[in-house]
Amino acid sequence: MTTSTATEAAPAPHESTSMLWADARFVVLCALGIAAFPFLLHPLGGYSTLATQIAIVSIASIGFNLLLGYAGTLSYGHAMFYGGGGYIAAILLLRTMPVHPNLWLAVAGATVGTAILAVLVGAVTVRLYGIYFALLTLAFAQMVFFIVEQAKDWTNGDDGLQALPNALLPIGPWNIDLTRHLPSINLGPLGDLGELTLWYIFAGICLLLVLILFRVLTRSQFGEVLGAIRENEQRSTLIGFNAAGYRLAAFAISGALTGFAGALRGLFDGTVPVDSLGIDRSGSFVIYTVVGGVQTLFGPVAGTAVIMFLENVLSAKTPAWRLIEGLIFVGVIVFLPRGLATVLKQQRDKNPRALFVRSLRPSTEEPDPLLKPTGEGRRSGPLSIVETFKLGKLFGHFAANRDIDFRVDPGELRAVIGPNGAGKTTFFNLLAGTIAPTAGTINYKGRDVSRVSGTQRVHLGIAKAFQTASLYPDQSVRQNCRLAALARVQGAFALQVFRRSMRLDDVDALAERAMDRLELTGVADIRAGDLSHGDKKRLDIAIALATQPQILLLDEPIAGMSKDEARKTEALIRKLSTEMTVLIIEHDMEMVMGISDSITVLHQGTVLATGTPAEIRDNPRVQEAYLGGHSEAELAHG
Amino acid sequence: MEAFFEALLGGLVLGLIYVAIAVGLTIIFGTLRLVNFAHGAFYAIGAYVGLVIAQHIGVGWAFVAAPIAVALFAVLLDRLVLRSFYDKEPTAQLLVTFGIALVVEETLRLIFGATTQQYQMPGSLQGSVTLGPITYPAYRLLFAAGVIVMLALVWLFIERTNYGLIVRAGVRDRIMVQLLGGNIRQASTIVFALGAAIAGLVGAAATPIYSIDPGTGFAFLVPSFVVVVVGGLGSFWGAVLGGLLIGELQSLTNLAYAPASNVVIYLCMALVLLLRPQGLLGESEVIRQ
Repeated sequence: MTTSTATEAAPAPHESTSMLWADARFVVLCALGIAAFPFLLHPLGGYSTLATQIAIVSIASIGFNLLLGYAGTLSYGHAMFYGGGGYIAAILLLRTMPVHPNLWLAVAGATVGTAILAVLVGAVTVRLYGIYFALLTLAFAQMVFFIVEQAKDWTNGDDGLQALPNALLPIGPWNIDLTRHLPSINLGPLGDLGELTLWYIFAGICLLLVLILFRVLTRSQFGEVLGAIRENEQRSTLIGFNAAGYRLAAFAISGALTGFAGALRGLFDGTVPVDSLGIDRSGSFVIYTVVGGVQTLFGPVAGTAVIMFLENVLSAKTPAWRLIEGLIFVGVIVFLPRGLATVLKQQRDKNPRALFVRSLRPSTEEPDPLLKPTGEGRRSGPLSIVETFKLGKLFGHFAANRDIDFRVDPGELRAVIGPNGAGKTTFFNLLAGTIAPTAGTINYKGRDVSRVSGTQRVHLGIAKAFQTASLYPDQSVRQNCRLAALARVQGAFALQVFRRSMRLDDVDALAERAMDRLELTGVADIRAGDLSHGDKKRLDIAIALATQPQILLLDEPIAGMSKDEARKTEALIRKLSTEMTVLIIEHDMEMVMGISDSITVLHQGTVLATGTPAEIRDNPRVQEAYLGGHSEAELAHG
Repeated sequence: MEAFFEALLGGLVLGLIYVAIAVGLTIIFGTLRLVNFAHGAFYAIGAYVGLVIAQHIGVGWAFVAAPIAVALFAVLLDRLVLRSFYDKEPTAQLLVTFGIALVVEETLRLIFGATTQQYQMPGSLQGSVTLGPITYPAYRLLFAAGVIVMLALVWLFIERTNYGLIVRAGVRDRIMVQLLGGNIRQASTIVFALGAAIAGLVGAAATPIYSIDPGTGFAFLVPSFVVVVVGGLGSFWGAVLGGLLIGELQSLTNLAYAPASNVVIYLCMALVLLLRPQGLLGESEVIRQ
């Protein structure tokens, strides 16, 4: 969320230094925490094995949280990756390297295998939401469980795979045996920390690397887009992001991380039980993550540590331990919806660079090279920009649109009017690609786009502002525009998991320009959800504008605005129309007659008349449709 | 052949249990927009209450006490915890109801132990009936008939009463119902209690057939959700069709190849979700909720 523009390409030196400092501090603190963990656990009863298991399972929870916390979907089948990773690693060891078991190969194979499984499962699940997503992931996990249980020759059925060979870890010239004990550490009155093995150090390093990776990933452009999709998927697809693609990538990364952890756990324990694929295992990731705190980096680690520790301690002491676990879970959801992590430490913002937001610069008057006027011969060109032939849309038996022949020339400002229920919004949705026509075709610049998705149409140059503003309410006005600009610059899908979008100057330039056009620069840092109604409507247009459209669809842009705001917005739209084609649905007749080059009247789902404002005003059929119909009030009030 | 008919009848009985649980899930979703993962807990509580009453007081009273106790529990749950989750996103609802299911299951385990239990119907109902080529336990047939009668009453409630009207309208557009002044709050409490009571009654009545342990609630819940998804969330007849389909599918697969009887229903659900995501009899509008 910086305001850097093209002239300020490189971040100022003090910024990058302080970022490096923050990164270094993060790594050091994580490393210290992981190193200190067994010492914390020791006085509570000496749980060396548990410490290693917690470090490993935390990785799986972090992976799970990418879906629940960052993509916003609850998977109830993550055991298929966790157990799947364990089985793949174990089978690789037993079948392919019984003599020289190599841990790298087993774990790498398991990670790749579960990533592939996640892509396959994700391909059919990511288009579903809520309970449907949870149930379908559960269904796939149960199918995997069934297959593993039945393939007894490979998996030993219900007994699971046991007595795995001790895999060694070759590093350079050394072949490290992770089961070797660390030198015993005397803790004075607390006894002796002598049970720890090299496994803890290895698992700790893996956890540290995963934490670093996850921190980078959630702050990257990929994390930013994933968050945007979670917040408003409808808007995200209509600024040009391939939402399903992003969710699939998140699912694959999540599955692979969980599979990686499952493989480590299997090798550490030396056994892979069939329960590791079971429904309770899937549920455990939900519990760990929610208790610790979704949408936080350390939450899943904290939750895993707390719950696994309690399980270990309490299960020996009381049969009620699972009840206690359940009560903690419900208590956290009801009283601490963001988990324990929020109590331990208020997550300090996602974005340290926010501290360095500069004051706003006045916008420059020079023409922006990024916003080219549509140069295809205004008004006189032989090529229409949008043309429809016999376009129709049936909802059940109701024809919302039928036989619409429509043509707009480049640069035109066309109003689409008609009484309520005439099919105007349906028509816009057909043009924007949010719904598919049931008859006819839509040509855009001579190409048939009837079957092209809404997301792809944004990249072709068609953008839409909604009748009810569709924004990212928790983001700043600037960030709303930046997301749209990002989609334009980076395309529908970009797996940019390492780079931050705020390094992209052309994105900032586009966003600033869009805000400037809609006179929103003054409120650039305000949360979009806190804007006034008129500003929200204008922001919605700015978002559409930041995708650099060649044709802009505005659905009732001034509805609900005060007179002054409406006139101001009208002037802004008039200005925009000098640079691009604008289609507008509006009930305000004063505005329609004042700014349109031409008007199309829809009535009962089809075109009643098209012509100049004067022709439309004098058209007897139009008068009848309005005055003879049930919408007299509409014309009178405008 | 006899085995086939027996499996067919077994599928009917199992399917009707699914239908009863699924109908509760569906009407609760319709009125409250709540995806209730704790619904299996209502079945389990009903079963245990029924068990205790049947063993100590009498089987007849079990059928009265179970639905009342479960309905009271549901109202309490609604008031104390769930109320604040109605307006939240589905994921938060799934999580909190999942947690409640966990707490109920573990509480039952503490009180009743982990072993499976069952109570017997009185002698007069323990006999068998001969139906053509097979003989079948009389109580199972009576159970099936009872569930069908109960479902008919629920259907009348939905189709013929004002509360039912709110349920049906709520499935389509909950906000509109509120705007029109429908007393959703009162209706939702009644519907929630009713859905829970159905599950509780069926739990008590089914225990002589399917023995109960603390995990049974969850074991019935998951297939019931599959039923709702296959039939179409929010649709009464969808729940009926889906329940019978899943019950028979499971029962017949059990006959043909027992190990696959659990996984086959997931396969069925996955196919339905891919080919007709709104469910067999569902309306497409509710799918994205």
